[in-house]
Amino acid sequence: MRIEKIILKNYRQFRDVEILLNKSLSSDLNIFIGKNGAGKTNILNAINWCLYGDEPHLSKDSQQLPMLNLQTIKETIDEGDQEVMVEVYVKLEEERTIIFTRRATYRVYKEERLPQLRNCDFEARFSDEKGNTKFLQNEDAVSLVERFVSKDMREFFFFDGERLDNYFKIATIQNISHAVFVISQIDLLRNKIENRLDTVLRELRREAGKENPKIDEIRNRLEEDEDKLKDVENRIEECKKQIEIAKGKAKECSDNLMRIPDVEALEKERERLKREKKSKKEILDTKKKERQDLLFEYEKIIFLWPAIENSLQTINEKKRLKEIPPTVDRSLLEEILKNKVCSICGTPLNDTSEKRVNDLLQNIKLSSIISQKLLNMENPLRSFIEESKFFDEKLRKINYEITDYNKNLERIEIDLSEIDKKLSGYDPERIRRWQEQRKEYEEIQTKNQKLLGQLEMKRDELNKSIDDLKKQYEDELKKEKKFELIKKQIDFCSKALDVAKKTEEIILRQTREKIESETNKLFFNLIWKKETFKNVEIKPDFNINLIHSMGYECLGTISSAEREVLALSFTLALQTISGFNSPILIDTPVARVSDELRTNFGKVLLDVSTGQQIILLFTPSEYDKDISKLLDPRSSGRFMLKLSSNEKEVKMEVL
Amino acid sequence: MSEIPDRLNIDRKDRELYNKLDSEEILKFKDNGGTRTRKEQFIFAMAYGFKLESRKPLDSMEGFVLAKDLRPDDEALINAIAIYNTKSIEILSDQKEVFKIAEEYAHAGIILLDSKIKSTSFVSYERELEKTLHEMFQKIKL
Repeated sequence: MRIEKIILKNYRQFRDVEILLNKSLSSDLNIFIGKNGAGKTNILNAINWCLYGDEPHLSKDSQQLPMLNLQTIKETIDEGDQEVMVEVYVKLEEERTIIFTRRATYRVYKEERLPQLRNCDFEARFSDEKGNTKFLQNEDAVSLVERFVSKDMREFFFFDGERLDNYFKIATIQNISHAVFVISQIDLLRNKIENRLDTVLRELRREAGKENPKIDEIRNRLEEDEDKLKDVENRIEECKKQIEIAKGKAKECSDNLMRIPDVEALEKERERLKREKKSKKEILDTKKKERQDLLFEYEKIIFLWPAIENSLQTINEKKRLKEIPPTVDRSLLEEILKNKVCSICGTPLNDTSEKRVNDLLQNIKLSSIISQKLLNMENPLRSFIEESKFFDEKLRKINYEITDYNKNLERIEIDLSEIDKKLSGYDPERIRRWQEQRKEYEEIQTKNQKLLGQLEMKRDELNKSIDDLKKQYEDELKKEKKFELIKKQIDFCSKALDVAKKTEEIILRQTREKIESETNKLFFNLIWKKETFKNVEIKPDFNINLIHSMGYECLGTISSAEREVLALSFTLALQTISGFNSPILIDTPVARVSDELRTNFGKVLLDVSTGQQIILLFTPSEYDKDISKLLDPRSSGRFMLKLSSNEKEVKMEVL
Repeated sequence: MSEIPDRLNIDRKDRELYNKLDSEEILKFKDNGGTRTRKEQFIFAMAYGFKLESRKPLDSMEGFVLAKDLRPDDEALINAIAIYNTKSIEILSDQKEVFKIAEEYAHAGIILLDSKIKSTSFVSYERELEKTLHEMFQKIKL
């Protein structure tokens, strides 16, 4: 079956829109493109509302708004009635068309009140074999919908990309078991046969009880225990469901947390880097200071080098001529000449000695002061010369160290900015919430595991007690011949019930195996990585897994695109097994698929569209150049949703 | 023998130029957060003036460095300049003249240093000083 037309009147943003979903020879693919808020998802909601009377994909914004179009409300007089109508034209394989129509009448008030629902009806109309138009209303129309896409099954046909991506991430076992349960229509067996047999069995037991108080007492206890067992089994199922949901939710939180860095470790690393930065910066500053000191100190040596060299040469020359150090003190000679007495031996000078002292004084070229000063200069100047030999080496070393510390600091800065980048993308409050939620779900899981253990123990006890009571009951029946017939009837009923339960198990197993086999076939037909994966497994406990060609389970590590292909394969498998051949409508199909895999996933959708009606709802950013290039030539219809300037109405433009 | 001076003088106008050295980390005065003493700044300026062969008489005098604070290596450099300048060691007997020569080189030096710093940022001044020292060092025959 396929949806060939949808008419929307006064439904949310759609005031009066008719959507014709064409089909080409090569594909049955219709594409809707619209910005967020333009009403894409409300097409999905409109189909759901028309066929099932609810809107499961309503956004938070839309939940606050009336179903009746806002512009219509504005233009309606006070207390005037307006009708919302969605009509879905479904074409069956045998070329017959059924038109499903849902109408809701609202009374509009001018004051600040939401329009009030006055009435709502649902009808289906179609032409019978003779060409007469037939109408079915409300419950009868609902039954007709159930024949094509039952309400329980719709989630496998009308969904959004997020659900597709999350399908095998959250409460997987619940999803799969629910799907298998629905597909196998076990409900029919359980409700119509098992429950009936159980009622008959109880009636038979009661009949025997009327004849014998002891038998009646055992029957009473047996029924009590059986009721308790049912209750315990229900509670076990509920408990398992809770465990699965909690496990899925905890995993979801863990996945979210896995995508973010270990904040504590990053904060510690950040602190360590900051300390290292501070210490390296201090050393770098010291090194820079050392270089400044070095340049400052060597400035005077190198700039004054000619003077230093010149003085040292002079000193060397004077030393070579033995002019320094002086052998005689000039002032002593001057004192002797002045006093005319030798200052050393006290002998008065005669003419000869006076002449000799005078000659001596003339020969002394340097005063002792100059000589001393030259001598005092020698060591410092030689030190400068010695020191200067290491200038280049010292400067090179210190420059190397400065460069090295600068590089270290640059690396630290890069590391710090990377950490900041990692941390800035995450809201600590949200991280804390995820951590708390995970803890809560883990606690729920633990609590339920404990409860499950207790319930299973209780179930075993009750089963044992029921077996004992059944035996006692049987023994009592055997005691009296009058119960022979009733005993035979009870035995027959019990056996029939056993057969029904075993049949249920067999059907569930076979359905699961068929879905597994079909999913494998479809997945390997659709996936672009043919060699990477070995097979898809749906285990007896309904756990699904994808096995890598190397033998390990890899469902948790595959990309969104691959996961969506698996979910799509599973969905198509469910359709094949169930015999329902319904359109598939996917809202934001590639929103969670990374850019490089979008084309691959687009090809998958194209492949599917050759044998099945596919309706895709894209945002403009999702419908990028690559996706457009791939899907445009093959699509059988493309529509652009445009919101009016007052945001109260959407116009549909055929591309 | 002439009178022995007890201090090295600068031109009064140079005080401001020495204070301006504080803007440069490599030359900053110790009392203003740097590490250089006035004596070190004076010798730095003197060496700079000597390198540029620029000597300028002081118009007015103001004491800047006490002679007692000079260490033997400082005295050696001051004396070396005087000997180089007069080409005679006799100058050493005239301490006043020795100081005068040092003061005149420092006077020209601080003015030229101020212009040099003004014309360049600190980092490039330091880099340029490093480059100049490196180039001059390569020419020195050790």
